[in-house]
Amino acid sequence: MGIGYAAIAIKAGFTPLQTISMSFLVYAGAGQIIAASMALSGATAIAIILTNFVVNLRYFVMSTCVLNQVEESNTPLNVIVGHVTVDESFAMFSLSDDSSIWIYLGIAITAWLSWCLGAAIGVVILDLLPVIVTNSFNISLYALFVAILTPAVKENRQIAILVLITAVLNIVLSNFLGNWSLIVSTLVGAAVGMYIVDDEYLLSGDA
Amino acid sequence: MDYINLVILGCALVTFIPRLIPALFIDRLDFSPKVEKFLNLIPYTALAALICPGVLTVDNQLWYIGLIGAVVAAGLAWKKVPLGAIVILTVVVLITVYSIVPFF
Repeated sequence: MGIGYAAIAIKAGFTPLQTISMSFLVYAGAGQIIAASMALSGATAIAIILTNFVVNLRYFVMSTCVLNQVEESNTPLNVIVGHVTVDESFAMFSLSDDSSIWIYLGIAITAWLSWCLGAAIGVVILDLLPVIVTNSFNISLYALFVAILTPAVKENRQIAILVLITAVLNIVLSNFLGNWSLIVSTLVGAAVGMYIVDDEYLLSGDA
Repeated sequence: MDYINLVILGCALVTFIPRLIPALFIDRLDFSPKVEKFLNLIPYTALAALICPGVLTVDNQLWYIGLIGAVVAAGLAWKKVPLGAIVILTVVVLITVYSIVPFF
């Protein structure tokens, strides 16, 4: 996944060091790809930064969820948790039974470093990879999301309905709200879920 | 400052601040059961919104590439294939599809 980002960043004129630094400092999958694509198309720095703010605002919600569930934490650890919380680490954490902060940090920091490593590998081997291979790598993040969501959908009909409603909502809203659609759909979807999903399922530790 | 450095530092800042706020204040918050339930629902809705319609733009020219990938991943997950294997197999299937597409 980091490889795909590196491809766009290099094309947009990033040096290899800048490409890798961005993965380390920003650490936001989609946000970085959007930033690099916008830089490639010549957008102003302000426009790119504002778009990133909106696109990455979901991490505010995600790190709140994670921090609400981890055990034995303190403020310095919380700050690290905040930085390494992205879609993948968040998804894996919230749908697993383990709420130890150490296990979470282990998984999430590994994911962070491999994202940086992916960018480094991308910088080096980019020219060697055929387009169909880099394109096929683009699916991996979505494959992970689908794989994590499927068992819950299979097990619980109310969750399945909620997922469907949110998906349709986001497809519709993305035509009007653009980048804001993701966070709006996530929050509105959860609000709808308050009424259509029974408390028992969520409190049994599956969420 | 160099344009690209400005972009990187600016993005780092606006991404980190929203992540930092919950880290600093979470200990002082005691969520009510309703808020807990809301937070517990977020993973499902966030994933649903991340997948749709984003998955259809995996390939900007061929929208069905992403759809095929999603269907393959869902099918494998339904059969309880482990996560890592699902990701790898889905990528392999797409490489195969890309190799076949030019023949149609």
